[in-house]
Amino acid sequence: MYGWIWRHLPGSAWIRALISLVLVLGVVFVLFQYVFPWAEPLLPFNDVTVDEGSGATP
Amino acid sequence: MLAGFLSLLGEFLITVGLVLGLFVAYSLWWTNVLADRQASARGDEIRRQWQSAPGANGAPGPGALDTQDGIGFLHVPAMENGEVLVKKGTAPDVLDDGVAGYYTDPVKAALPWEASGNFALAAHRDGHGAKFHAIDKVKNGDAVVFETRDTWYVYKVFAELRQTSKYNVDVISAVPKESGRTAPGRFITLTTCTPVYTSKFRYIVWGELVRTEKVDAQRTPPAELR
Repeated sequence: MYGWIWRHLPGSAWIRALISLVLVLGVVFVLFQYVFPWAEPLLPFNDVTVDEGSGATP
Repeated sequence: MLAGFLSLLGEFLITVGLVLGLFVAYSLWWTNVLADRQASARGDEIRRQWQSAPGANGAPGPGALDTQDGIGFLHVPAMENGEVLVKKGTAPDVLDDGVAGYYTDPVKAALPWEASGNFALAAHRDGHGAKFHAIDKVKNGDAVVFETRDTWYVYKVFAELRQTSKYNVDVISAVPKESGRTAPGRFITLTTCTPVYTSKFRYIVWGELVRTEKVDAQRTPPAELR
């Protein structure tokens, strides 16, 4: 997968490295901005309140 | 063929590992950055409002306050985390901004200026400001001070429950029996999750009001905070 991406990037090795870096930063941005905020409430790590229900709250 | 499949699988597993590592960084670091930024902006806003609207002697009634923005600041010297903005509600969108929220559900918390009841609060143990991270450092006899525009409410911790079920809503009732108190009084309850980094149980700290102090012109903090 990574080899395939590397082979299909244009330019010299330096240009490819630069584009790869931008791609990595883009992926990290999407993860931090959209994916993790969406996933976090679905995971049972951050419930701090007491409640009666079966866990539908904070 | 098999080699190709295995190397693809390997790359996939490495990617999953990296994403999980990033998620840890997100939960324990980035959410703190965002929440602290939010909380300090909101806190500054409230202090500005307090300054621009002086007068109104005595404890503010609930009607005199805009609970949307927050009702005051919680100071717990034992936690060494400065001041914590207190807002209404304990829903994730409230607590995720790096504040402590007072319960409206399942039990409605009493506000500090009410004659009796339990001022029950919740905040994050980790991530999103982690305002109650050091709750295990709070011991009996420690001071918990709540600051409003006009009054310092000084509470003293008298009991803790280091681990309880998350369904134990009795801990935030007006007279929390498990704390050992049986008569109505002016209590404060701090709740968060425990052990750290998980949400398996809840950690409870109870205090009761020992005195109130009027805020003076310089906002001199009470002796407990000096």
